[in-house]
Amino acid sequence: MGVDYLTKRLRSYIFEYAGCESATIGLSGGVDSAVVAFLAVKALGVNRTHLYFLPSKTTSKEDLEDSQILAETLGVPKGNFRIIPIDGIVDDIVQAAHIAQSDRLGIGNVKARTRMILLHSFARFNKGLVVGTGDKSEITIGYFTKFGDGGVDVLPIGDLYKTQVRQMALEMRLPARVYEKSPSPGLWPGQTAEKELGMDYFLLDQVLFRRFDLWRDEECIASELRIPIKKVRKIVQQVKSTQHKRYPAEIFKLGFRCHGSDWRYPREWA
Amino acid sequence: MNNVRIALAQIPSKIGDVRKNTQHHIEILRQVAKESVDFVCFPELSLTGYLMKDVAYEVATECSKSLTKIARETKINQRAVVGFVRENDLGFVQNAAATLGNGKLLGSTAKFYLPTYGLFEETRYFAGGNPKTDLKVFESPACRFGIVVCEDAWHPEPIEALARLGADLVFCIASSPAKGIVESNSERGLPIEEQWMSLLKAHALMNTIFVVFVNRSGPEDEEYFWGGSAVISPSGKTITKAKRFESDLLISEIDLDEIKRARRFTSFRDHNVRLHEVLIEL
Repeated sequence: MGVDYLTKRLRSYIFEYAGCESATIGLSGGVDSAVVAFLAVKALGVNRTHLYFLPSKTTSKEDLEDSQILAETLGVPKGNFRIIPIDGIVDDIVQAAHIAQSDRLGIGNVKARTRMILLHSFARFNKGLVVGTGDKSEITIGYFTKFGDGGVDVLPIGDLYKTQVRQMALEMRLPARVYEKSPSPGLWPGQTAEKELGMDYFLLDQVLFRRFDLWRDEECIASELRIPIKKVRKIVQQVKSTQHKRYPAEIFKLGFRCHGSDWRYPREWA
Repeated sequence: MNNVRIALAQIPSKIGDVRKNTQHHIEILRQVAKESVDFVCFPELSLTGYLMKDVAYEVATECSKSLTKIARETKINQRAVVGFVRENDLGFVQNAAATLGNGKLLGSTAKFYLPTYGLFEETRYFAGGNPKTDLKVFESPACRFGIVVCEDAWHPEPIEALARLGADLVFCIASSPAKGIVESNSERGLPIEEQWMSLLKAHALMNTIFVVFVNRSGPEDEEYFWGGSAVISPSGKTITKAKRFESDLLISEIDLDEIKRARRFTSFRDHNVRLHEVLIEL
């Protein structure tokens, strides 16, 4: 039911709500972008789905191959799958902004934001939207670059935990190596999300689901999952400290009604 | 046989675009014009959309004009139920339902229970209906009927009161959004759908009336209204069930004689008002 539902919603969002013609998606070689690309093809058709693989020198060969396999599996026309290395642009920005080579997070953010700029430029050319690939696990713990991979028009799998995305990939019969490998933003060599988080996504999702969907307290979660409470607290703290990434920039109120507090209108506003 | 034909208009609405939604209502009424239906029922806030937020304060006047336009499309013996925003005597807006027929606006009622939890924040915008003036049984050539709005069906009193006031059927118009979609499958349906069907069947059985549920379809911001409109008989049977997640226009035929037959085998007549004496103290 989930695949059909998301397909319907993506089609409706792009064609009816946004009045656009296509989807522009950045492929990473991982499961999230594979699932989103599948949904776009199902919702809009292969000719209206534009896939971009934007590698840097820290992108693995495996991710490149997996993206190529995915594009072929989905039947996207050759002209709709492009590989564009971003190192030249990234190096120029790093140099101009005086970012130290040792600052791998700083350089990683430049990579993510470079991809964002390119994808929005392509989307404009394609008369479409940038369809984001963030999942609920990443969004909830703020594991994304603000205005980088977070800078998208719509997040179709943003309410699915990583574990559920993998399950959906299986249901879609996507290549197994795409959903079996350890997720990585690929911002520096050997980076994996699970290494950075200190736990695997299955456990992370169990904690997030119990705390925020079921409203269980931290002690109860630690007991149920048989993990130290400090691990639960660390995750909950990460959710709290990254709240700013999930909100638009704060505006200091001066007038009578202020965006974000008492100026409340729906996104779809006739 | 004492048959009544009801059209269930499970439609999407565009938030705040009363003009466009009005046109859609008129198109539906014209579409069913040849079908000799006694009733055409639209969902909750069908003229305005549901998740209006601050738009809710500014649509009442336009709704009022639109109801007049839509009413012109109704036939002499026909009744249409339309969800709209009503302004009350104190200038507050209400989540309301209008009865139209014979080319005119015949009356309206307002939602009593305003949900304010989860994604719902109705008490921020709306004033609740007054049971003394809004619990209404409308007369039509086909039968007597009442209307409740969505959350009212999650409480026992509104539908029970309408049944005891003589309604043969109660329309429950709703804007129920989907949740738990990933855990659902097409056979089992959605958890919220299962809950709704249990409630509707309970109301129909306890009050031995027909319950006509008309839910919205389509998206509004993050939410998606799941549809699944239905007609339940006084013996708790699902007579009609509309599509899930899609717009639908179904015509259901019911036999009012079923009410009398069902009442021979229930204790509906044994209304113990002493219980309400306790409830009123709580």
